[in-house]
Amino acid sequence: MIEVDGLVKRYGPLDVLKGVSLGFARGEVASIIGPSGGGKSTFLRCLNGLESFDGGSVTVDGLRIGVETRPRERSKTLRQVCRTVGMVFQSFNLFPHRTVLQNVTEAPIHVLGLDRARAEERARKLLDRVGLLDKLDARPRHLSGGQQQRVAIARALAMEPRAMLFDEPTSALDPRMAGEVLAVMADLARDGMTMIVVTHSMKFARQVSHTVHVFGNGQVLESGPPAQVFQEPRHEATRLLLAETQAA
Amino acid sequence: MGDTSDASESETVSDEDVPSALAVALSSNLLARLALLLAVSSTAMVTPRISAADTLARVRSSGRLTYGADEEGGAPYFFRDEADRRVGFEAELMTRIGAELGVEPVLFQAQWEYLLQVLGRGEVDAVVNGYELTGARARDFLASRPYYIYQLQLMAARDGPVRAWADFEFPRPGGGPWKVGVMGMSAADTYARRFQGDNIRIFTFDGVTNAMRAVRNGQIDATLQDLPAARHYIKSPEFRDRLAPVGPPEGSGYYVIYTRKEDLRLRDAIDRAIGRLIDSGELRKIYEKYDIWNEAQEDLGRRASTTADPAGPRRPIFDLGLLLRFGPSLLLAALTTIVLSCTAMPLAMAIGLLVAVWRLYGPRPLARLLGGYVELIRGTPLIIQLYVLFYVLPDLGLTLSPWAAGVAGLAMNYSAYEAEIYRAGLQAIPKGQMEAALALGMSPALAIRRVIIPQATRIVIPPVTSDFIALFKDTSVCSVIALTELTKQYSILFNSQGGVLEFGVATAALYMAMSLPLSKFSRWVEQRLDAEPGKGVIE
Repeated sequence: MIEVDGLVKRYGPLDVLKGVSLGFARGEVASIIGPSGGGKSTFLRCLNGLESFDGGSVTVDGLRIGVETRPRERSKTLRQVCRTVGMVFQSFNLFPHRTVLQNVTEAPIHVLGLDRARAEERARKLLDRVGLLDKLDARPRHLSGGQQQRVAIARALAMEPRAMLFDEPTSALDPRMAGEVLAVMADLARDGMTMIVVTHSMKFARQVSHTVHVFGNGQVLESGPPAQVFQEPRHEATRLLLAETQAA
Repeated sequence: MGDTSDASESETVSDEDVPSALAVALSSNLLARLALLLAVSSTAMVTPRISAADTLARVRSSGRLTYGADEEGGAPYFFRDEADRRVGFEAELMTRIGAELGVEPVLFQAQWEYLLQVLGRGEVDAVVNGYELTGARARDFLASRPYYIYQLQLMAARDGPVRAWADFEFPRPGGGPWKVGVMGMSAADTYARRFQGDNIRIFTFDGVTNAMRAVRNGQIDATLQDLPAARHYIKSPEFRDRLAPVGPPEGSGYYVIYTRKEDLRLRDAIDRAIGRLIDSGELRKIYEKYDIWNEAQEDLGRRASTTADPAGPRRPIFDLGLLLRFGPSLLLAALTTIVLSCTAMPLAMAIGLLVAVWRLYGPRPLARLLGGYVELIRGTPLIIQLYVLFYVLPDLGLTLSPWAAGVAGLAMNYSAYEAEIYRAGLQAIPKGQMEAALALGMSPALAIRRVIIPQATRIVIPPVTSDFIALFKDTSVCSVIALTELTKQYSILFNSQGGVLEFGVATAALYMAMSLPLSKFSRWVEQRLDAEPGKGVIE
């Protein structure tokens, strides 16, 4: 589904990604964990083009972008990629000037060209699924953080993506609200959605994901099923990370 | 220079050059002017004038006669020669009068329209600047005997359709009314308006040469000017081959020196001095030197000063009748202000938005170019931009009407400010908004249109509204290009009719009446857009 080959990203003299290669299969739920500054978010943002990169290539559902791709071709392909892959952000990034319903119908109407009635029908279904059918006409600022993040998930799902990227979706939430969001994500996983989740939530990584990748220092330190990574960490950094999160 | 041509020349735009236009632009802050005027006028009317028991005695003992004039008025009244010395026939006249009185004449510089107010306050003892004898002025001040008999000269393009006054009685070839330019509040203005009708339309200018330039550019058909100024400027290289006098000088009136009403002795002394200069032929020599002597001046010797009754009725402190009579013309001018601003502002906002968006999101060369545009427009005064649009563009083959130039100038000027406001507004939207939109598959253009601009709009409403109000008042600068809006009409009225206080209050009230609904409207829009103060729009 998603293939990453030798991805390199530099910020000036700093190498954020030092040639990362990873594959994600259809229906796979992958967690990416690791210390801050390890390149997790940057890696995720390279997948849908929010960050450009300096080496390697990304292929999403057959759409390939490499460093050599020309800007015009690149932005065209990226638009396709973004229709295929949804994204959820740490800070939700809902559109504050629109209601909950409008947040969810905005892209289907203006990007996919759906008529309003169909878009709203789809939005209602999704908002029902994330438990927010009673908030259709609320503005984002009147919702709690957990509610906002669930709207953001519904907004991404409204494009009927084939894969979903989550960039620390619960880091800005208190544990109770994080729980609401994680429940929705677990529900999605059960449905067979391909998901790549950058997270600090070890519980999600352990219980929901099929694969765990540990990032550190711009590289993938180790990969494997959660049981293996959590029970028999092979890498020193992984052990440190697990100790830290358990202490916390 | 009085109500005659150059009167207005002094006023807003120099007819001569851009630097002086700049000086005026900087000095003509409307509110400051209104406030000053109200203060000046109320002092002048309500409190007893500052009158020494005898001004003439004080002038003699101090050895100085302070007179008010506006050097910006231009040639041949007061101007600077190549060596930057003050010359002009009125400058020389005052030197001679000073000699006759045995005192040194000292020029007190003030804007032409306000000279009589300055006289009333007591800063100066007399006013000499092409001020013509009018009934309204003679009610409030003492007029000397005339020192010059002016006439009006019609000028038109050398090979144009206007060859005689009689041409105006027939339809204009090519249709439309004949367009005749005059100085606002000048005798030529009054004179020309008698002929106004289906065939003639009057345009009011601020400077002699501006009106002449408009004739040269074909923007108007002819201009009627005071003879001295007409004779002076038609010889300049700019107009020599392009403009020609049409017919003999018409009409006539008197330039006089004004003193305060109680300074009868000073006025009489000035009268005697003028009389001696006339009798000795010195006055004629001055006029011949400046090439403004003509047969009409033979009559000067036979004109005495108008008798005035110092005990005569003073004007009422607030003359409502004046407002009733001239209110309609103020309202009409206010309409011009409204139409100008309401056409220019939407254009400015549209251009500003495009500039801001392209500067932020466009290709780099375009962004640079637009950055240059903003700096250029913001860095130069509106008055000069209007001047270039109206008077200079015709040289490059693009001739704009006053309305087109006014709207274009205001829209262009304000677009630069709006662009900066929008840029700030757009940049205030968190980066995550753009990212979320792109991640949903929107193109950058769609994201800007549907996500970024609607949010930025809420932020920029207050500053854009205050710019709109500022533009309302900035329309006054359009008097440079023959558009008579509210402020201009106000100064025309108080100069020709008196009543600084009455017209000042009415004008201020009209501006308030126009800007208050605007503030209300903007608050309403803000509320509609659900931008709750304090909460902000950013989640």
